[in-house]
Amino acid sequence: MTVLRTFGRTVAAEWLRLVTVRSTWVLLVLLALAVTALGALAGYDAAQGAGFDAPARTAWDDARFTLLFLLFGLVALSCVATASDYGTGGIVPTLQWTPRRGVLLAARTVVVAGVSVLVGMLLLTVAAALVAVQADGLGLSPDVGASTLGDTALVVGSGTVMGVGLGLLTRSTAGALVTAIGLLVVLPLVLGNLPYETLRTLAEHLPGTGAVVVVFGEGPSPETTAAQGRLTLLAWAAGTLLLGGLRLLRTDATR
Amino acid sequence: MISVRGLTKDFGRVRAVDDLTFDVAPGTVTGFLGPNGAGKSTTMRMLLGLDRPTSGTATVGGRRYAEHAAPLREVGALLDASAVHPGRTGRTHLRIAARTNGIPLARVDEVLDRVGLTGAAGRRVKGYSLGMRQRLGIAAALLGDPPVLLFDEPVNGLDLEGVRWIRSLFRECAAEGRTVLVSSHLMSEVQLVADRVVIIGRGRLVADAAVGEVVGAAGRRVRVRSPRADALARLLAERGEVTSAGPDELDVVGLTEAEVGTAAHEHGLPVHHLAEVAGSLEAAYWSLTEGEVEFRGEDAAAPEQEVAG
Ligand SMILES: Nc1ncnc2c1ncn2[C@@H]1O[C@H](COP(=O)(O)OP(=O)(O)O)[C@@H](O)[C@H]1O
Ligand SMILES: [Mg+2]
Repeated sequence: MTVLRTFGRTVAAEWLRLVTVRSTWVLLVLLALAVTALGALAGYDAAQGAGFDAPARTAWDDARFTLLFLLFGLVALSCVATASDYGTGGIVPTLQWTPRRGVLLAARTVVVAGVSVLVGMLLLTVAAALVAVQADGLGLSPDVGASTLGDTALVVGSGTVMGVGLGLLTRSTAGALVTAIGLLVVLPLVLGNLPYETLRTLAEHLPGTGAVVVVFGEGPSPETTAAQGRLTLLAWAAGTLLLGGLRLLRTDATR
Repeated sequence: MISVRGLTKDFGRVRAVDDLTFDVAPGTVTGFLGPNGAGKSTTMRMLLGLDRPTSGTATVGGRRYAEHAAPLREVGALLDASAVHPGRTGRTHLRIAARTNGIPLARVDEVLDRVGLTGAAGRRVKGYSLGMRQRLGIAAALLGDPPVLLFDEPVNGLDLEGVRWIRSLFRECAAEGRTVLVSSHLMSEVQLVADRVVIIGRGRLVADAAVGEVVGAAGRRVRVRSPRADALARLLAERGEVTSAGPDELDVVGLTEAEVGTAAHEHGLPVHHLAEVAGSLEAAYWSLTEGEVEFRGEDAAAPEQEVAG
């Protein structure tokens, strides 16, 4: 019982931590502007191209690509929200006030990933709505909407959990961001285009590739399926959170 | 009640705290003294569960810190005043602390008032002076109205008025029955407020006693001035412990005034001044921690000087 109460209090405190630093709001505002603009552009494009060849096409499908931008932005948010405690030394009071590190880990993960998922679903809906209002032929089908938002939750949720893990693992905002960009963008691109079979296989199992596969439904090779992409994302989230969590739980709380 | 038992901490091959055992009783201010690098901060960090002991235990109120359901109601501590997110306001910092331990938010304004930060509470910590950050850290320590308070070098960065204020705060807290442990590398800072001192050097316990006892045991010495101080020093060094106390001046421990005077007379050495010097805590501290200092400058041998670090 007391653990649950402590968890509840820690969630409330983590929420306050997240919303009382400027970097959170700067990132969210930039992300909202970017995704809104992209949604508006996608809608404009859809309205121009007259013939809607595929009858099943919806506004959700045209807005789906913004999910990649949401992923990058919210992973950055999760890295900053987790690692900044180490850069500022704030980890000392944090652990002094919440010495049960498992509780802190759970609360921080839930708050950062939870807020990110909600923001991601909201902004993706905005982008889809911007497409729908401009392109008459494209509707907001509830079924497609549910599956798109489900994918958003999965991609953003696993990406931000990975960001929390990286923040705890590197204990450095820059280190976490660089690692995240490497895993999501640079390595999949570079390794995936090298003439070495092993490296290309490795690239297929990086989270960046997994996200692209889930978002666009197809991967670098014909065999990669969206299910594989989901699995890749979840595995990276679990692995980095485990390693970062172990570092938090097992080692001294140095900056 | 703070209880430290066989506490040991290794950082790689460095033994920062070495089999330390002591208790801190309620209703007293206890000075936690030692030169820089002696292991004071590491001991406090282990008390707060921030560092994991290599062996031994550190408990507060009979439990390890992390086992308390609401630790801020048991132990208030200020370790490193600059370890605060600079982008939040002082008030927000304290609100977060209050949330974590289920402390009513009204308490935030009470402690802000007690440390004199009400006017600055709405400003970002970024703009605080070190003294203001110390006050903010003290406010956080007082937030849960805890029976045990730990302060690591709290006087750093405070101006004279701040130093006076913090001393009276310690006395008030002890008078309210709280256990107060205050670390410092300067004896003079602790001398005026502490009832007891726990002195460590190189991670080991050097003394754990009432202030008066420490002074009585180790501070007393004889000061003698002679134009032939060198010869006198050689002579006296056979019988007691001699240190230079300035040009032509010696401090002698372990001999009485009469013994020093008689010895000088027997060897025909002139004496211009001879007096017994009452022990000061500073001198006692120095003699106790001599040889326990990790880094020592060439000229750090006089008791009046700060311990080098
Ligand atoms: N995180 C750490 N890693 C390695 N060595 C450390 C660490 N923290 C402290 N030390 C070493 O432990 C010893 C005690 O340090 P500390 O507890 O800070 O002393 P004090 O607070 O008495 O000045 C010093 O030799 C210091 O260099
Ligand atoms: Mg220290």
